[in-house]
Amino acid sequence: MTKNKGITRRQFLGGLAVTSASLTLGSTGLVEAETKRYAKLHDSTKCIGCKRCMSACKRWNKLKIDRAEELTDRETDLTGNTWVVVNLTRDVNNREVLYYLHWACQHCGEPACRGACPVKAISKLPEGPVVIDEKKCIGCRYCYQSCPYKIPRFDLEKRITRKCTMCFNRIESHIDPACVAACPVIALEFGLKDEILKKARERTEAIGGYLLGEYEAGGTDFLTILPAKPEELGLVIAPKKVVNEDLDKIRISGYGFLTAAVITGLMYIYSRTDKGE
Amino acid sequence: MHEITQTGNTKSPAYYIWISSLIAIIVLAGYALVMSFLIDMEIFEFSLKIIWAMAVSNYVFFVVSSTGLCMVSSLGHVFGMKRYELIGKRGVFLAIITIIFGMTSIGLHLGHPERAMIYNVLTPNIRSAIWWMGTLYTFYIVFIMIEFWFLTRAELAEIASNSTGIKQKVYNLLTLEKLLEKVGFIPSVEKDHKLAQIVGALALISGLSAHNTLGGVFGQTEARAYWYGAYYPAYFLLSAGFCGYAWVVGATIITYKIKGEEISRKLRDLIFEMAKIFALLLSVGLLFTTYKLTSGLFDPVKAKSIMLLIKGPFSFPFYLFEVAIGTVLPIFILLYSTRKENIAGVLTASIMVLVGVFVMRYDFVVVAQVYPLFNPMGKDALEIIPSFFPTLMEIFVIAGIIAGCLLVYTLGVKYLPLKEESH
Ligand code: SF4
Ligand code: SF4
Repeated sequence: MTKNKGITRRQFLGGLAVTSASLTLGSTGLVEAETKRYAKLHDSTKCIGCKRCMSACKRWNKLKIDRAEELTDRETDLTGNTWVVVNLTRDVNNREVLYYLHWACQHCGEPACRGACPVKAISKLPEGPVVIDEKKCIGCRYCYQSCPYKIPRFDLEKRITRKCTMCFNRIESHIDPACVAACPVIALEFGLKDEILKKARERTEAIGGYLLGEYEAGGTDFLTILPAKPEELGLVIAPKKVVNEDLDKIRISGYGFLTAAVITGLMYIYSRTDKGE
Repeated sequence: MHEITQTGNTKSPAYYIWISSLIAIIVLAGYALVMSFLIDMEIFEFSLKIIWAMAVSNYVFFVVSSTGLCMVSSLGHVFGMKRYELIGKRGVFLAIITIIFGMTSIGLHLGHPERAMIYNVLTPNIRSAIWWMGTLYTFYIVFIMIEFWFLTRAELAEIASNSTGIKQKVYNLLTLEKLLEKVGFIPSVEKDHKLAQIVGALALISGLSAHNTLGGVFGQTEARAYWYGAYYPAYFLLSAGFCGYAWVVGATIITYKIKGEEISRKLRDLIFEMAKIFALLLSVGLLFTTYKLTSGLFDPVKAKSIMLLIKGPFSFPFYLFEVAIGTVLPIFILLYSTRKENIAGVLTASIMVLVGVFVMRYDFVVVAQVYPLFNPMGKDALEIIPSFFPTLMEIFVIAGIIAGCLLVYTLGVKYLPLKEESH
């Protein structure tokens, strides 16, 4: 983080303390103006693939070791107990060079997962983190289906869906997210969204890379600097707009109601053939 | 064909073998469920990436059937078609048990079904299609049960007055006589008829709306290209139509055959009339499928999933079950048997459609999940996913649910007035 760390942290933590209190009460009653928006940044061109962020995440969030990790460290996938993965990616135009990608919930500005959850177990905190209330989740996994990045994963033992929380719960300890704090080469950074975004844009421009999360899924609070376009790295990108918009949902259901009306109409017409009896 | 020689006897050994094998399957499902709690839910999942599998597809299968049954039976007592009143009670009874076992299927799929009931009420998310679906289906279940009660109340009362002891008590309880006396409602056949029509209309409206949101659960999911769009809400409603006919026609004929009773002229005529509409709906369904395939091929993301059906690992179930057994062959069989007045042909076609639709639902749910929009590993999804086939434990549970449904139907036929007779 930057020099004004102390201040931003305190602001961040203050805001979060209120939010976490209101979360448990089940309301969002935080005055918008008082809130600062934060963001996490990953620079894949700096990442050395040490995976310390992965183990830090596990330790802080008390997550189990997955079977896949015991067998191999070649490639790992997100699970209910692995909220961040670091995997190798390769530029199709330059197959010699490999990059490590730190991959976790993107903390979308308008999260598709939140709109899908039937019981409002998912909320977007005003500070930026998108969190699942694990006491409320019914384990339907609809958030997983709706997420453009397929992030929330089902924990088969706890029977709920879990994912990265951007460590919103580290407030008492006054520290950065566990992964950010663990990174030895500052490939991960955390700070005010405006500042992080500015920095990320400059850096991306300097290396001629691509900034993932600036527009994807309507803009996300986790940004990733990529050496090349996501499609060239074998990543399929999310659309550059809010995913699962409410209006779109209404449009689709509208067509459904139209069909239902037509069917009812046909049933009525058919029923008129019964007049004679 | 309809000359049935064997005399129906529910006390025959075959009846007991049938009942005990159903119970055995249910016990097996119970075992699988207990194990899932003792070990963990992993025994149900063959892949963490295909997190909606057989429990969801089975749910879809059952609730589509229920909506369809509600539609077909409402032609009688809601739309006032006298001849459809013949199958009204059986249709509504089947609609009740299919929705209840469908809900059981999804309930067992949820990580915490108990929370679902609480938080669906406490913190509703009206932006979520699943919330709408759950809520509307709850209304639907209530309406359809009341509808069934109005349709059978008079006959239940009759059975009660003709019997003695425990049996009489139970049937009296079912007629809610005491309760109605207290509130000062004096039931009569005319009132039953009128109220069945009103509640039936409410059941139909809530059923169609719920069904639309079920389509919406899939159709609104922008991140799943294969499901996304207005196609599935519409197609689900249409497929409810042919599933409803398949159930009503199939169940009616089988019940008559097994009980060895003769199908009346009126009912025969109705069955052949229904068979024709059934064939028509299947043909429209075929048009829908063709449209889905051709239009999907032009969409680069959708095309990948479509190719799984046309050429990939899903092509065998797709061509054999979805196209041949589930649609094309039944259309021909239905057309042929209506011309030749062949009851067995109609029965065969309806069973084929139900089997085809069951497999189709599985494909529909699973195929969409193979290709995510974003694949951070940059790998072909087919390399990552080990298997598409449900696990043994999952099959146990689903078989248990189907067995439960058949068991309740068998008991319903035995103890409830479902018989076709015009009143
Ligand atoms: S990346 Fe997925 S899980 Fe994370 S906030 Fe966005 S939609 Fe939700
Ligand atoms: S799995 Fe949990 S968090 Fe995700 S949509 Fe369902 S209830 Fe909400």
